[in-house]
Amino acid sequence: MRPSNEPFFWAIFSAGGMIVAFLLPVLIIITGFVVPAGGVEFEQLDNVFGNPLARLIVFGVAFLGFFHAAHRIRHLLKDLGLRSIATPIAALCYLGALAGAIWAATVVI
Amino acid sequence: MPGPLPRTKSNDWWNRRWAYRLVLLRELSAFAVAGYLVLLLLLVASVREGESAFEGHLDVLKHPLLWIVHALLLGLAQFHTATWFRLVPKAMPLKLGGWRVPGELLIAGVNGAWLVVSVVVLVIFLVAA
Amino acid sequence: MTSEATATRTVTLEVFRYHPDTDTEPSYQSFEVPYREEWVVLDALNWLKDEVDGTLSYRWSCRMGVCGSCGMMVNGYPRLTCNAFLREFMPGPIRVEPLRGFPVERDMVTVLDDFMEKLTDVKPWIIRDEEQPIEEGEYRQSPSQLADFKQFSMCINCMLCYAACPVYEHEDEFIGPAALALAQRYNLDSRDEGNAQRQELIWSDEGIWDCTFIGECSTVCPKHVDPAAAIQQAKVEATNNFFISLLPFTPPGMGR
Repeated sequence: MRPSNEPFFWAIFSAGGMIVAFLLPVLIIITGFVVPAGGVEFEQLDNVFGNPLARLIVFGVAFLGFFHAAHRIRHLLKDLGLRSIATPIAALCYLGALAGAIWAATVVI
Repeated sequence: MPGPLPRTKSNDWWNRRWAYRLVLLRELSAFAVAGYLVLLLLLVASVREGESAFEGHLDVLKHPLLWIVHALLLGLAQFHTATWFRLVPKAMPLKLGGWRVPGELLIAGVNGAWLVVSVVVLVIFLVAA
Repeated sequence: MTSEATATRTVTLEVFRYHPDTDTEPSYQSFEVPYREEWVVLDALNWLKDEVDGTLSYRWSCRMGVCGSCGMMVNGYPRLTCNAFLREFMPGPIRVEPLRGFPVERDMVTVLDDFMEKLTDVKPWIIRDEEQPIEEGEYRQSPSQLADFKQFSMCINCMLCYAACPVYEHEDEFIGPAALALAQRYNLDSRDEGNAQRQELIWSDEGIWDCTFIGECSTVCPKHVDPAAAIQQAKVEATNNFFISLLPFTPPGMGR
């Protein structure tokens, strides 16, 4: 029996699930509601995202969050009956997450 | 002689009970997570580009459709948070010395930490910056 | 209510029927069964077998939630029929079917071979590198060490968790909730040294990694074993082990 490589993806999935659970609701409130309502000005956002640590956190949330989502979607599709094409689905999901993570890196650098 | 009836498989499990439908919703929250991260990165990219790019992005954000999208994303993200925290004591039961921390207490602790983190992030954006 | 008054009330049971010698397709047969406040679904089935149709087939033994043999789908939900009261399902009808996800031998009698095989595959017994001589006495265990696994040891092999598991429904190879929970029960036992022997199977794709934490196995369990928790804890352990094994050195205390 081949050892599973699932621990690697599950670790990222779990870390992503945790960081997303902590940060996404408040971030959505800020960027989806407070910002368009004018509660946060450009200068404030520029200050926050001008900070390298804040940008590192944005990258971390994006990287882990994309892989978290990819892992979940992969297993959901499997559970919904697409077992025969589970391998291409997995490849597609993780490649999508990788593309998202690379994009995130270009945004914060 | 036909013999035993083979086991059956059907793909409608998610529609059998509310518990399964909620699990499906929990898993579907992954689409909201990925979708919101795209929106967040677009915003950060526009801020990094400069004020005029941000103003352009802000006009899009003010569209009523995006308010609805964000409301949906918030609902799903909050559902992810709630379900994720509920499962913490199952996956990672906490033992301090010889004392097993009760699951409900652990969930309350994680939720408390979440509240603190949320307030800190709000303060960073609204006050400190 | 007097017994006379209750005896006149009835409830409809829609019973799954399949005979391997004559049927190619299963069917449902409706029966009117006397309704009694204190009757469970198993009582109604026993009444049917005694009074109406002696060919009706199903397993049962203790009728008190201990033996784990009377599990069936009651209105689509896996239950021990000995603790599923008729009054929960009134006014009926009550549909009784064999446990989902298993081949059907006859009526509500399922084929258990797959589960039995998987159960022995996970070696659910205490494994010692070397047995301690009898004169040295029993293997001692503190209450705290017992508490580490006690919940997972309550399993009665009723297989309700398998019937509730969409992953097992689709994946023939999946070891499934009860067997994985029992593996974890022995892995967590301070007297056991068989962790390494169970790992290869438990930590494979067909073991814990097929599980997506749907969690209904724990909801339907009549003994509150919580297989879903057992599996997630095994995932955490397997993941820690995976990353530790990538290290160029063995951290102190991780020798096993």
